[in-house]
Formats: sequence, structure tokens, C-alpha cells
Amino acid sequence: MLIRLAGGEVIDPVNGLAGKRDVWIKGGIIVEKPVSKRADKTYDLSGCFVMAGAIDIHSHIGGGNVNTARLLLPEQHAAHLKRPQHTPLSNAGWSTFRTGCLYAQMGFTTVVEPAMSPSNALHTHMELADIPIIDKATLTILGNDDFLLSMIRDNASSAMIDDYVAWTVSRSRALGVKVINAGASAAFKENIRTFSFDDVVPSYGVSSRRIVEVLQASVGRLGIPHPLHVHANNLGIAGNAATAAETIGASNGRPLHLAHLQFYGYGTEGRRGFSSEAARLAELVNGNPDVTIDVGQVMFGQTVTISADVIRQYSGMRTASPKKSVLFDGDGNGGGIVPYRYRQDYYGSLQWAVGLELFLLIDDPWRVFFTTDHPNGAPFTAYPELFELLMRRDARNAKMAELDQSALELTTLASISREYTLDEVAVMTRGAPAKLLGLDDRGHLGPGAIADIAVYRKGQDIQKMFRDAALVFKNGDLVVRDGVVTHYRWGRALRLNPPSDKGIVKRMQAYHEDRYGLSLDWFTFPDSAISRENPFAEVACRS
Amino acid sequence: MVAWIGSRTVPLPTAIEQAAKLLAKSRCPVFSLDSDIHGCRSLIALAEQVGATYDHVNGRDLVHQVALHTDIGGFFATATEVQRRADVIVVVGDVPAVHHDLLLSLAATTPDLPRSGKRRWFHIRGKATLALSGKLQRRAKAVDAGSSDLPIDAVLGVLRASLAARKASVVLDNIDAFLGTVANADFPVFVFSHFGDAASLTMLQGMLIDINKKRRATALFLPSDDDAWGMVLTSTWMTGFPPRTGFSTGSPVYDPWLCDVDRMIAGEEADLHLWVSERDEVDPPRRSGLPTIVLTRSDRPVAGAAVTVRIGKAGLDHDGVVYSSRIGTLRSAVAKAPSDLPSVYVIVEQLQHALQGEDVASC
Ligand SMILES: [Zn+2]
Repeated sequence: MLIRLAGGEVIDPVNGLAGKRDVWIKGGIIVEKPVSKRADKTYDLSGCFVMAGAIDIHSHIGGGNVNTARLLLPEQHAAHLKRPQHTPLSNAGWSTFRTGCLYAQMGFTTVVEPAMSPSNALHTHMELADIPIIDKATLTILGNDDFLLSMIRDNASSAMIDDYVAWTVSRSRALGVKVINAGASAAFKENIRTFSFDDVVPSYGVSSRRIVEVLQASVGRLGIPHPLHVHANNLGIAGNAATAAETIGASNGRPLHLAHLQFYGYGTEGRRGFSSEAARLAELVNGNPDVTIDVGQVMFGQTVTISADVIRQYSGMRTASPKKSVLFDGDGNGGGIVPYRYRQDYYGSLQWAVGLELFLLIDDPWRVFFTTDHPNGAPFTAYPELFELLMRRDARNAKMAELDQSALELTTLASISREYTLDEVAVMTRGAPAKLLGLDDRGHLGPGAIADIAVYRKGQDIQKMFRDAALVFKNGDLVVRDGVVTHYRWGRALRLNPPSDKGIVKRMQAYHEDRYGLSLDWFTFPDSAISRENPFAEVACRS
Repeated sequence: MVAWIGSRTVPLPTAIEQAAKLLAKSRCPVFSLDSDIHGCRSLIALAEQVGATYDHVNGRDLVHQVALHTDIGGFFATATEVQRRADVIVVVGDVPAVHHDLLLSLAATTPDLPRSGKRRWFHIRGKATLALSGKLQRRAKAVDAGSSDLPIDAVLGVLRASLAARKASVVLDNIDAFLGTVANADFPVFVFSHFGDAASLTMLQGMLIDINKKRRATALFLPSDDDAWGMVLTSTWMTGFPPRTGFSTGSPVYDPWLCDVDRMIAGEEADLHLWVSERDEVDPPRRSGLPTIVLTRSDRPVAGAAVTVRIGKAGLDHDGVVYSSRIGTLRSAVAKAPSDLPSVYVIVEQLQHALQGEDVASC
């Protein structure tokens, strides 16, 4: 079927296309305007913007820790069913089903679950397979696991490290590698309570810095398109901007992605010893072209924090609201689930402002990524409000008037006049994520791209525009009309498949038999275990 | 022979059609499930389609285990991490026989993280707690700590108070050995399964909160039944809720009382029962008056059932995915003796297909 999207205003910065033009779809792919062929179906998009489907690079949408959070907090989901929409957790996208629908309704067509424990890969992929409509991907967690830490301690060769990283990525069906507070979860099991970049995991004698460097180099050598995704040390702690600065400094002119930088944007100024260092961090990012970041914006209201940063989650348990949490000592990282309410008090106001400062002071929309670290800073359903805050200074000012002024005074937010353009939004949420993840087939509207397309009705109300897409196409299928899902389909999980060396498979077999008394097939699974047709789509590593 | 209407053998499509008719007509169907992850996934989707309320076949055993996770939370670990790191294992109360192999494998090994060492065992007992099995006790040489006079929650209360150096009014067996060992342990792990009461769970997790203020400690939760726990996880990601949950309003509603399938049957709210079990040894409860659809391993029609369909078992007749306490997550289970018996998943797919032609009644 030949589909014509007629007369919409195209926003496709990747291909330098703007202005009114038609977009053509055939067989799920965007095609050149065909010569002397009539469309089988035409959509009149006058009065609409046309963008590629949006891509979320960091959103905790599935897997053991996410499911534990659901289990811990049935009341959050229950509450959402009765409450009117647009309060933060009223639309949390709590079940797999709702997650796919709510993302699609906003024009998002690909979402990355950024924290899959390799030992939990089957569970994670089973959940992702139950998220309808959108494509998914995962980042696999390394850096607190005994096998890697032992190799680093024993000065294993780069080739051996690469074999292990490749095997882990491949067997867990991941699109990239994440390291979460490198070494800290292992150290916490040895009763270490704080862990900085140059601290050492006692029984391995290996520092956090060393783990990050080893993994960053390996990811680069393996040609994994997405740079090492780093959740740095000291998350949430006053003065931790220094840790973020150290981590950026350690990128050594090679690609490195820092996750949810907002949570590291804190200094120690002010009466409460908690201030914004966002301007300094933004300058550092601006000056380090190999570094990319996502923000992890805080929005106000009830949420739950889900993290494999166990040391951090343990200290967060004190401020759990409601007062219950889970701390999980799993293989490697484990995880912690701590419900939390962001209040419009001093701390909440400061965190909110730090996030916006980062968005607005980092110049290059190709290197700053749009996230709330769902659900850690806010549920992803808060995105429409966040778009508005970025695109309208008066919306920011109006919100600032409600907040704690003594906190805002310690930020530069009031002085920032920048407003994101739609072009910049398209870069930040489409072109840049596709490039960062190595997904050439999406993030733009050029011929050959898959027809993941979001159409928004122009209007003054930015929130409404981004909450209820006029039309959304996934692989050429119309899936959303006027913010309502009209067609269900199953997306795929995008994965790399670097070949595994035979030697490493043997070593892993021996390791699992020796340490766990279990054969390796307890820890691996065939694609057919997902029980959906073509659950995975392979993405190539760079040669 | 895989399908029956009443006691009459019929081709499978005929049985499916009849079951679909009953499901479509029902205003308040209830499901009792016991299957692998794929089976549960499809049955929960079916429940949504027909507005059913569902629970596990052994839902009654699950109530406190689910409540631990919804109301209390706490410290947990995987058995794999425990195997490598626990220098002290404290078995709390009774652990079901299905987990004895797991406990034996823990007793047969010693920790290698953060360095090789020994592993010491305790068994916390109350007045109703059974002794560890002979084989396990011979390997583990667990020291009994507790009291033959007090219920287990009271024993845990005394232990918690004593660990926090508060004076306790009762003296427990071997309490000094227990306190001394736990106080000096690097990674003590409390192994527990389903208690009959919430107080024990609260007390145990409270004790872990106390210990973790200064030192590390965690718990290994062994569900009463791995397949049931797999169903809890599946329900939670699919609907946002553990069982007991129902779709009588269209959206999932979690309510352990309202959605108690046994209560709904006893109170004559339910007008159709879909009962599914892949286990050989269990039969559906016999209830006169309530039409029942049974998916079972039995090679005979179930007496009194409106429709019986014979199914295979995941991991035996066909590949499946199951929760495994041994690794604390889902595991792919390859068919040990592949057969032609249909899986729950396949039967439910056919039911869903057959239902497309029917108007589904709602409550
Ligand atoms: Zn995150």
C-alpha cells in the first residue's frame, strides 16, 4: 500500500528538510515521491507538524526491578485508575500494556530500558515483549559482577575483556552496555557505605575509575555503537558535581554517555549546603565534544525510584514516601526500589531547576537527551509538560513563581531566555538518539527510514500537542489517531549480536558450573522462549 | 483423546467452541490458574477479554507472600548470590520440601566471595516449627535457636530485641551463639518462605533493617511454589497488579478480598469457573451447580466438568518459561519428553480466536 501524508509541515533536521511537503510510505518504509503513482491512502495533514517517531534512550520500563516496584506499590497504580488524568502518576504507564499505549500516544516509537541485569535478561525481554506497539531495546549492566572485577584485578588482556563483554551483550540481547556506580554494589556487599570515583572495591583492589575505563575501551573496540552508558558515583549527594566532572574528565577524548546528569548537578553552597552546579557542568559538557548526557529531569509529585545503584538506594530508604522499600542484593548490581514524592520545597525546587539549566545551557541538542529517568525523576507521562518548559520561557517563569525562591536564587534559571525550537526538539528526541544508539533506520524522515512517524496538530497548547499526537505510524501502520490507540501490534527488541568466541563460552560454562553448580543453560535462553514472532531485530556493530 | 464435553469425547475444536460459548455467556467468570509464564500470560489476556477475575490455584497460600511485597518490602537476595557470599545462613521457620534441594546445595558449598570461607547455619524455630530434614541437618549442622513454647513471630521479636541489645524477658535456646555469630558475620542471610502471619514477616524485615544500620545482612525469600510466584510476576507486569485481580470493570482491579475466587464461588457471585493446572497430582474441586471448564493433565474427563481439555506440561511436553528460586528469576525450560499434547498457551489462543465470533457478556 502506498500512503501519502499530504501537506504537513515537516520537521526533519537530520535531512535538512523543513516546510510543507509530502511524506510517502510504502511497505512500512519512507520512500521518495513516486513518479506517476497515486496513493492508495492519503492523509490530509494541513495544520500539522510531521516528525519522525521519538526515541527515549533511558526509561525504566521493564525487568525485575521495575516489576518489583509495581509489586511494592499497587496503590500507585490503583490510585491512577480513579483519578483524573494529568496528575503525575495518574498516567504512570505502570503495566506493560499501558506503557506501550502511553508512549505511542505521545508519538514515541522506540524506548530503551537502560538497566537490564544480564542474569535477568529473559525476564526483562518477556516484559518488553508484552509492551505493545513500540520497539524496545536494553542496555546490559556490567561493572559490579565478579567475573569482570576478577578479570580486571588479574590484569586480563583486552581481548579477554572484549570476549566477555561481547558474550554478555549477545546472550542478554542488549543494544549497549551500562555501568551503574561501578564497583559500588560489590563494595556495599562488603559493607562499604560511600563510594567515589577513585574508591576501590576492597576484595578486588579495583577502583571505580578503572572499571569505567576498562568498559569504555572495550565498548569502543567492539564497535558497539552506543558509547558506554555511565551512571556515575555519588548520585543525589550535595557536592557531587565534582564526581560528574571527574567522570567527564575520564572520558579521555573517547565517547562516553553520562546518565541523568541532573542528579549530579549539586554543589554545597547556600544555607542548606545544597546548590546548583548545573552551569559549571553544562560548560564542561560543552567543552567535551565526545561526551553526551541525558538529563533525568525532576517533575513534582509522587513517583518511585528504581535503580541498580544499591548503595544510593539504601541511603534513600530513609526518605521513602510512602514508608516502604526494597533492597535487593542480586548477582552483580542488584537493585533498590524506593518510593518518593518530589515536593515543591527547597530540595525539589533546586533539582527541578538544575535539570532545566542543563537542558538550556548545553548548547548542542545532539548531545543532551530528553529524559526524566522514568520513573526516577518523574513518570514519562510528564514529558508534555517538560516540552513546554523547554519551549516557553513564560511557562518556566510561571512555574518558578510557585517554587521555593531561596533555592531558585542559587541557580541561573531565571536569567536563561533560551527556548527550544521544534527543530531542536526533533534533534534531541529523534535524530540524536538514533545516532547515539546506532539506529540508522530511524530518527529521520528520509527515504529508506522505517515509517515511524509522529504527526502533531499545531496549536498554542504545547502540552496538548505532545500528549495527544494527531497520528502516529509505526512501521507504516497507523497506530494512534487523536491521542487514542487505534491499532495494536507488537514491536521488537533491538539488539546487537557480536559473535562470541568459543573460548569464552567454555570459560563461562566452567565458571557457572564451578561457582553455582549449574550448567550454563540455566542462565541462557533461545529466542523462542519469548514466544512471539520475531521478538528481536538485529542492529550491526561498527567494524 | 484430548477433549470432552461432559463425559463425551469430542474433537478438540468442538470442545473449544463449547468452552468459548460458556465464556462468552458468562457474566462473572472466575479463573484458577496454574501454568508456566506463557500459560499465565495467555490466561490473563483471556481474563481481560472476558472480564474475568483470576487467582492462582493455590491463591490462598500466596496472600501473605504477596502482602510482604505490597505492604512491607524489605531486604532480599538471589539464591545464587547467597550461595557465593553467605557466611551465615539462618533458616527461619519451615521451608517447603520443594526447596530442600536448593538448601542442600547451599549446605554442600561454602562462600567464595569476597574470599573463601566457612558457612555456619542456624534454624530459628517456634513451637510449631518442624526440624530440618535429616539429610539437610546432617550436612548443614544447623544450631537450633528459638523456643518450643513461643510462636515464631514471638521468637523473632525476642531475637530482634536481643540483636538491638534490648533486654528480652524470655530466654531462647542457643541465643548467645546466635547473637555472637550474627554480630560477627559479614553477610548473614535469613532464609524464609511463607509464614501464616504478617507479624513474622514484619519482625524479620525489621530485624534486617536494624542489622543493616551497621553491618550487612539480607534475606532469601523462597516462595511456597515457584510456578505460583511466576504467575504473580506475570500478573504484575501485565496488569500492574499481583493476584488477586479481576477485570470485571474492564480495567484491572486489585483487591485481595473482592477478587478472592473461592469467596466468589462460595457466595455464588461467579457463574463460570475456568480451572487450569499442569500438575498431575491435583484435581479440580468438585462443585455442583457451577459450570466448570477444566484444562488438566488427566487423560479422563473430569466428573462434573462442562468441558475438559487435556493439556501438556511446560518443561515436559513442550518448552516453557518458569520462575526458578534457584536463580531468582525466570528460566527457559526445555521439553524433557516432547509430546503432541497442546500447551495452555495454544488452547487459550484457540479460545480467544473462537471468542472473536461471540458477543462477550459483562457483569
Ligand atoms: Zn535510570
